[in-house]
Amino acid sequence: MVGISIAIIGAFLLLLGGFIVKDIVVAKRAANKYVHYTVRGTVTSYLMLLPALLLLCVFVFLPIVYSLGYAFTDYYLLRPGDMKFVGFDNFVQIFKNFSMHGNVYNATMNTLKFVVFVVPLQIGMALGLALLVNKPIRGMGVYKVFYFAPVVISLTVTSFLWVRILGGGDTGLLNSFLVQLGMDPVSFLYDPQGSMYWIIFISAWQGCGYQMLIFLSGLKGIDQTLYEAAELDGASKGRQFLAVTLPGIRSVLTFVIVTVFIGACKIMVQPMLMTGEQSFTITLNYLMYIEGYTYRWVGYSSAIALLMTIVIGAITFVQRYLLKEED
Amino acid sequence: MDKARKIRLAKRYTSRTVVYLGATLLAIFFIFPLVWMIVTSTKTEMQYANDLGSFATFLPNFSDLSTFFGNYVSVLTQYDIWKYGLNSLAYAAAVVVGNILINALAGYVMAKFTFPGKGFISFIIMFLLIVPVETTIIPLYSIVHNLGISGTVLAVILPALVSVFNIFLFQQFFTNIPKEYIEAAQLDGASQLKIFLIVMIPLSAPIVATVATFAFIGVWNDYIWPTMVLPSPQPGEWPLYPIQAALTTIQSIDGVTTGEVMASLVVTSIPIFLVYVFAQKHIVEGIGAGGLKL
Repeated sequence: MVGISIAIIGAFLLLLGGFIVKDIVVAKRAANKYVHYTVRGTVTSYLMLLPALLLLCVFVFLPIVYSLGYAFTDYYLLRPGDMKFVGFDNFVQIFKNFSMHGNVYNATMNTLKFVVFVVPLQIGMALGLALLVNKPIRGMGVYKVFYFAPVVISLTVTSFLWVRILGGGDTGLLNSFLVQLGMDPVSFLYDPQGSMYWIIFISAWQGCGYQMLIFLSGLKGIDQTLYEAAELDGASKGRQFLAVTLPGIRSVLTFVIVTVFIGACKIMVQPMLMTGEQSFTITLNYLMYIEGYTYRWVGYSSAIALLMTIVIGAITFVQRYLLKEED
Repeated sequence: MDKARKIRLAKRYTSRTVVYLGATLLAIFFIFPLVWMIVTSTKTEMQYANDLGSFATFLPNFSDLSTFFGNYVSVLTQYDIWKYGLNSLAYAAAVVVGNILINALAGYVMAKFTFPGKGFISFIIMFLLIVPVETTIIPLYSIVHNLGISGTVLAVILPALVSVFNIFLFQQFFTNIPKEYIEAAQLDGASQLKIFLIVMIPLSAPIVATVATFAFIGVWNDYIWPTMVLPSPQPGEWPLYPIQAALTTIQSIDGVTTGEVMASLVVTSIPIFLVYVFAQKHIVEGIGAGGLKL
């Protein structure tokens, strides 16, 4: 374990050393002597970079390399000495579990459901709010503050608050009103059909104020004379939105779609705190956490993480490509 | 006033009224849970149960002012939430200061120094910036575990000190600062570290403020990582949990009332609320900087 870490960092340093030598040789051979390295300057530079490089290596670079490596081992956290290379066993097990509709299948489906619904919902709400607040009407600044308010509370607070609102029995806020209306209390969060939709709704409620601000900064950047020109041409409000507003905020929209998408893929705190481990709310990130942390099967968990990273990375790449194509 | 103008004005007023009505309904939708949280935090379990199911559940109960802040008193004295709050503040302070110094230093070197190997290091930075590293929490946990710092505050602070995005942000900023500033300071015989601390950091005040704001919010709101690496609170000892993690502990105490839970949620949210009020400008700037990334 320690040996591998030292080997990886050693390889990294060796590579760095190689590039240093290469740069020096190239600079020496260059005719114009434009680049001039001094020993003093080089030592100072590396001394000043040292804290960042060291931390980057240990806490960013090594985890990436390890998540690649662990995925092909049977690493159990408490028995690091017993780690064996098992090839694609973890992946075979994941696909077996998926095809037998085990927890990998549930987690995949729930995550998919969350992403597919929350991304358009949250972005649509954020864009709608931004357009509303951007209207040149008095008082909109105050409304903006109201819409932004849920962003201020953390995901933990959001989860615990909504557990009390949607809670089962007649002590939850929503159920207390249902009981008043003569209905039976519903256990919203433990309803296999509806639970995930409540989590989607709550996440959009909590998060969309932030994207509203991003859209707002994009809308402020649009040249107002474009609207006047469109008005003169007799373009309707809808036409103006499609022809002026959307192109005007395209780069902002790309940014929001990519960040909300990546954030949605990682969903974990809400199901963890609102329902705990349940087949109808478990998500991939949560499953990875349970396997790797609760059960300490780091190898198996890393294989899930690797698959997730590949899928998220590929979709992010496609999104950026599709949305930037016309630039 | 001619008729056409009257109609136009009337139309405008109706459309305004509709906008205001819609905006108000939306506002209620966004803040009713927060209002309910704050109002409930001032109620005893009896008052809470009585008001439930009627509109009074959204209104404060002033009938007995002696219990109005009772939940806050018990959350602070009985459940020691102030200790967890202090922990969170300490973690945030360490991370904010360390994060700025370390990443600004690296960004400064990358922007203003020529040294062999620079191309390779800037490639690594760009690589880490683009590659999605969303799911490395378990390998990170195994590294922290094997380093032997699991269970200590270092496990919370150290990994949060470095941020590739912040290095990149500082590098962009320092690139635009004229070299003359550095040369003038060098003529005065200042060392490189001194130039960085006395000249560069003050020059980059706006970006320092933005990075500090986001780092603070990040640490304060972090929940999963601290619960993974820190031991859960033991009676009679000063806990290591930050405040978000403590919410789970408070939730699961036997006999905790709804009002007390709500009070703990409010206490947890107050510092972030203050940050959003007082550092608004830096947050908007940070959102702009995030957009630059693409």
